[in-house]
Amino acid sequence: MNTTTAASTVESSLVPVHTTGWRGGLANLVRKELGQWWGTRMWWIQTLIWVVLLNGVTTVIMLEGAGMPAGELVTEAVQTFLQMGATAIGIGVVLTIQGAVVGEKELGTAAWVMSKPVSRSSFVLAKLIAYSVGFVATALVIPSIVFVVQARLLLPVPLEYGPFALAVGIVALSVLFYVVLTIGLGCMFNGRGPVAGIGIGLILIGQFFKGMLPIPFVSITPWLLGDVATSFAIDSVPEWNRMIPLVATGTATLVLAFVGIRRFQREEF
Amino acid sequence: MQTKVVQNQSDPAAPAPSVQDTVIHTVGLTKTFGHVNALQGIDLMVPRNSIVGFLGPNGSGKTTAIKLLLGLSRPTAGKATLFGMDSIQDSLAIRSRVGYLAQDPRFYTHMTARETLEFTARFFYRGPTEAIRARIDETLELVGLEDKADRPTKGFSGGERQRLGIAQAQVNYPDLLILDEPAAALDPVGRRDVLDVMERLRAYTTIFYSTHILDDVERVSDYVAILDHGRMVASSPTEALLDGDSTTYELTIRGDEQTVLRTLRMHPWVSNVTTDSQNGSTAMTISVTDEQAAESGLLRSVIATDDVVVTAFGRKHFNLEDVFLQLVKDPRE
Repeated sequence: MNTTTAASTVESSLVPVHTTGWRGGLANLVRKELGQWWGTRMWWIQTLIWVVLLNGVTTVIMLEGAGMPAGELVTEAVQTFLQMGATAIGIGVVLTIQGAVVGEKELGTAAWVMSKPVSRSSFVLAKLIAYSVGFVATALVIPSIVFVVQARLLLPVPLEYGPFALAVGIVALSVLFYVVLTIGLGCMFNGRGPVAGIGIGLILIGQFFKGMLPIPFVSITPWLLGDVATSFAIDSVPEWNRMIPLVATGTATLVLAFVGIRRFQREEF
Repeated sequence: MQTKVVQNQSDPAAPAPSVQDTVIHTVGLTKTFGHVNALQGIDLMVPRNSIVGFLGPNGSGKTTAIKLLLGLSRPTAGKATLFGMDSIQDSLAIRSRVGYLAQDPRFYTHMTARETLEFTARFFYRGPTEAIRARIDETLELVGLEDKADRPTKGFSGGERQRLGIAQAQVNYPDLLILDEPAAALDPVGRRDVLDVMERLRAYTTIFYSTHILDDVERVSDYVAILDHGRMVASSPTEALLDGDSTTYELTIRGDEQTVLRTLRMHPWVSNVTTDSQNGSTAMTISVTDEQAAESGLLRSVIATDDVVVTAFGRKHFNLEDVFLQLVKDPRE
């Protein structure tokens, strides 16, 4: 068999993809987005940043609080880890992915991808999936594992793993919210300014003013997720009102994802 | 001088393509951006397996029209169908049969050329990686990028990006290739290569490409569509466009130019004569109003003139630049 025939035989095993509906091109786009996160140095840079930041601060607290009552020290360390996770990772998300959609619109790669058999919802969903997985894994799960090891080594009483894992899950919801918010804003605006401004602004308003705002309003924002996560980690029995921020943030996340996709479907390239 | 070109439709002398043989069909395709009318009701038919040059000055609406065809943008009015499918409703199905090269192609800079092609190919094919790679190797060879295949596209020059753009556009063996200025960023050798690739692909696909390089169009295009200020000012087989009409003739003589001019002006159907004398030879461009009378009497009357030798005679053949400049209004004028 000559080379041409061999090549033809190999190529004949290619099967055309018949893409229809909202999932058109999704698998390929998710693979590409995950590759951009895990196939480059992005993942270990993110991991390094968050381990240094979250675990660095909690290590200092554990070491300096050696004279504190055991229960208080555990509470202090867990609270710091979860509160910082809910706030700082949100800021990190907005800063890191503010250009994920806008940059592609500016550069022309979005138009290029959309000239292929790809649905617009797939383009947005692929980013949501890859960035959510990337941030939750590198900024939250890995530092949480490190935190558990730290706690075993440095805390006088053991950490309750179940409630702590649940609390990490709640912070993960916060991370998802900010990923969806940033991607959604990227679908709505054509510049990075509004995307970063609204995202960071929302986090900072919550950080500095949530104590001054009416509780019914604050409880339907993601600003309380750090507090809710801490309460789950420290007490084992949740109160019903802790569920309000969870349900509200979950709902807001879904609505933002929907609105972002709808807006991107109307985008003109 | 006025060149007769068929406005907004094919030359009536050429057979009109049937709907089944039409790959692109637009009716009254219109796009406005605020108060700017980017496209004003263009009607276009692109026959299967043809190469169609889409001409127009910068800002005439070529790229806007292409984006409407691909569903990247929505028409304000009118309709476009590709393969008989609606450009908006059936956009996904259309794009699975189309290869597209953007005017300034951009790719993910962290990917190599090979990864870019693999990423593109995976939208169209599944199957063993080996088979995908074989397809990609073939495509890289086609555009001469084998030696740069494993370099990140971040460092690619404009010409290399253009070659990669052509490669990704035809990695899926598309039924229709839409190329927006495919040779614009290329040096003369690269340009020639692109035209060669287009010629080779002619047998398998329909090629619709925009350009402002008139020589390229003349060389490879079967049909030409000319856009100006968002309006289609001509759409015709290239030959028909360049043949111009049968009311303008070119005559070259040696001898007494004045005698010939007097003879020509005696005919009531000669409307205009321009002359250009060089090295004892005079080239005349003669416009007539009666085609039949000119066919039978023009050359005969000149040959009958004493002391004059006719060295060339025939219908005036235009080049595309002549036609283009006649049809397209210069905004400075």
